[in-house]
Amino acid sequence: MTSVQLDTPPAREAGRSPSAGPAPREKVSIRDLSFYYGSAQALHAVTVPLYDKCVTAFIGPSGCGKSTLLRVLNRIYELYPGQRATGEVLVDGENILRPGLDLNLLRARIGMVFQKPTPFPMSIFDNIAFGIRLYEKLPRSELADRVEGALRRAALWEEVRSKLKQSGQSLSGGQQQRLCIARAIAVEPEILLLDEPASALDPISTQRIEELVAELKSDYCVAIVTHNMQQAARSSDYTAFMYLGRLVEFDETEHIFTRPKEKRTEDYITGRFG
Amino acid sequence: MKSRAAAADRRHFDSRGHKGAAQRRERIAARLFTGVLYVCCLVFLLVLGGLAITLLWKSRLSLATFGPEFLWSSEWDPVHGRFGAAPFLYGTMVSSLLALLLAGSIGLLAGVFLAEFAPRRLGAALGAMIELLAAVPSIVYGLWGLFVLAPFVGGWLGPALQAAFGFLPIFQGPIYGVSMLTAALVLSVMIVPTIAAITRDLIAATPMRYREASLALGATRWETIAKVLIPEVRGGIFGACMLALGRALGETIATTMVIGNRPAIAASLLAPGYTVASVIANEFTEATSDLYLSALIELGLILLLISLLVVGIGRLMLRLVVR
Amino acid sequence: MGVLSIPARRRIASALWTAAAALCACGVAAVLLLVLGYILREGFAALSPSFFVRLPRPVGVPGGGIGNGIVGSAITVAIAALMAFPAGIFVGIYAGVYAHRRLAQGLSFLADVLAGVPSIAIGIYAYILLVIPFRGFSAVSASFALAVLMMPLVIRTTEGALQGVPRELREAATALGATDYRVTGKVLLAAARPGIVTGLLLAVARITGETAPLLFTAFGNQFWEFDPTKPMAELPLQIFTYAISPYRDWHRQAWGGALVLIAAVFLLSLAARLSFRLLRRGAAEP
Repeated sequence: MTSVQLDTPPAREAGRSPSAGPAPREKVSIRDLSFYYGSAQALHAVTVPLYDKCVTAFIGPSGCGKSTLLRVLNRIYELYPGQRATGEVLVDGENILRPGLDLNLLRARIGMVFQKPTPFPMSIFDNIAFGIRLYEKLPRSELADRVEGALRRAALWEEVRSKLKQSGQSLSGGQQQRLCIARAIAVEPEILLLDEPASALDPISTQRIEELVAELKSDYCVAIVTHNMQQAARSSDYTAFMYLGRLVEFDETEHIFTRPKEKRTEDYITGRFG
Repeated sequence: MKSRAAAADRRHFDSRGHKGAAQRRERIAARLFTGVLYVCCLVFLLVLGGLAITLLWKSRLSLATFGPEFLWSSEWDPVHGRFGAAPFLYGTMVSSLLALLLAGSIGLLAGVFLAEFAPRRLGAALGAMIELLAAVPSIVYGLWGLFVLAPFVGGWLGPALQAAFGFLPIFQGPIYGVSMLTAALVLSVMIVPTIAAITRDLIAATPMRYREASLALGATRWETIAKVLIPEVRGGIFGACMLALGRALGETIATTMVIGNRPAIAASLLAPGYTVASVIANEFTEATSDLYLSALIELGLILLLISLLVVGIGRLMLRLVVR
Repeated sequence: MGVLSIPARRRIASALWTAAAALCACGVAAVLLLVLGYILREGFAALSPSFFVRLPRPVGVPGGGIGNGIVGSAITVAIAALMAFPAGIFVGIYAGVYAHRRLAQGLSFLADVLAGVPSIAIGIYAYILLVIPFRGFSAVSASFALAVLMMPLVIRTTEGALQGVPRELREAATALGATDYRVTGKVLLAAARPGIVTGLLLAVARITGETAPLLFTAFGNQFWEFDPTKPMAELPLQIFTYAISPYRDWHRQAWGGALVLIAAVFLLSLAARLSFRLLRRGAAEP
């Protein structure tokens, strides 16, 4: 484990920096995004890209709008009345905020993992199969393969292979969260949204989740919200610092943590406020 | 892991090309589900609307014959086809309000005790008993009222009240076991759990800081409750009382068994009376003429409207408090 | 006495009020014990094995039973549950899942109000709808009345249980691309099941003792009757008839019937509580 101190910027292996390889593709383009809870504005004209096969971390003090931003990307906020977004969110060039879009299909393409683990009240197997069954009718054996694949991918298979019929809620907190990640990737989404996925977990589970995130980015476009700056520094390629509903700075993680351009970013990452 | 070629199908978010069959089925099922939900909501609204409409329709004969006079006429003469609701309305109002007076004060105090003073075990035990009290069927209360409470009122409580407060008209005249007072007592036993339980929940839900602030000012625990907590939840307590009143107004069987069923307005609480619900229960199957039946149904309609109003207000108050 | 101590008068008043409150709480509980004690004492005296299976007998002939009333009540309540459960659960689902919609809030409020409507008025309703047109009293008309009484309870129970499901669970299922139908059917209802089952059982318990709406729907019957389109004996009605009669033996049977009825109601309530614990444990553990 590479322990990163707050005041010392992360030492990165050369190959990991996105600037070293070919330019990453812009998978999601958030443009001029504003968000309202009733009459209260929570996001102010945020413009930020998410790159494919990269991890983008959103940091900032609580209430800065980072979770809200994530909740716009799969339009989960539409469950609640009075919440609305303006601006554009382009996924592969298509605006997902446009009316008439099939929200269920959108959400099937964009996986999300929440702060609190959310195993459904059903068996471990059914938890994973839930999302697959929504859009695909697979023979039993193929379904089992998909479930196993997802659990392996989430580094949970060895722990649960003998108890797939047990309730998902019987697992430990860290296992539950990996179950939720497995459930999200079982649907084979293109984008993965992680909303403080480790904040409710112990340090060891947190480390496993971080390793998992690093592993997953080879296939997905990952956005992670975290209040833990070391976590952002360790596991992301790009970092967006938000404050009071505005994007203050967006850059490669290395730059943000070594030579931020904005004074407020520097103050925040060095722990002077927030 | 399966290849991610499927992603190519999903370039667009619309349905075209993406796992067509399973998805179409899913969409049909979802639409069916929504349809069933709406149909059931409609059924519920029809049942509810039908209640008021059928009662109104079937009481039209009585409405046309007697007009508003029905409400204050105290004549009830099936033989000559003259009907008036006054004695029944009077009996219903008096027995229910008296029950509310008794149950309201006792239930309020009991609820406060359960929320603020009872040790956890005792509070849980008493709370469970009060809930059980609410689950006892009204026929059982009627039976108990008829064979236990009525002799007690006629032989002991009535004479005692008359001896002590005989100067008041409400305790004068001959003493009956089955009387307005007995009905009010039985009703108060039936509605006290509602008031006690809601009061307990309301008080228990008040923020701790009110208590701290009041105690810090030097108030005693009781003063804190009486001057800070109860005023804070008075809307809810009022709502609970309205619900309880609604139940007392509509209670049929228990009242019928203990009120004496005499269609006359008597000043004394120790004399028999009659209620709207009781007269329906007693005479409905015996109503020989259309007008008779129609008058009974009009009584039901009046009862329905009164309780809708009372319960509606009560529920509204409770919902406002919870928000 | 120092300035900081509370005056004796205020302290005594507070203590007295507190004592009064304790007295009221215990008094209410004591009334329950009093009622139950009487029912047990009088009721047990009337019980015998044949009491549960025999038909009622005419006045003066000893050894009558309430067998037909027990069976009749069971049939009537079962049919009422069949009518009220599906519609009530679906309305409850609508009210619980779309709680922020106007219609849902309206339905929930109407259910609350309907729960306070006098049962005798609902009896009249059933009489007008099902007795007059078919020219005869019937168990089905009684079931309809009981179903109308049950529906608001079922609706509010289902609604409450669904609203008790953590919103994260719903968000997680929705975020996988599930429609409301799947989210509700597979996730929310599974999570809310303990609460719903408990509520259904409590609703049954609540209407099992109803008497007033049966007077002019089921009407009562001296004999065995299993056809729900015919007048049927009902346990609460038998208790009522026996209680207001002038005969000692019938009074005794009324107490016996009341004991059976209250035992049934309490057992249903107990089953409701137990099932909640069992189902909850079943959901949380393997």
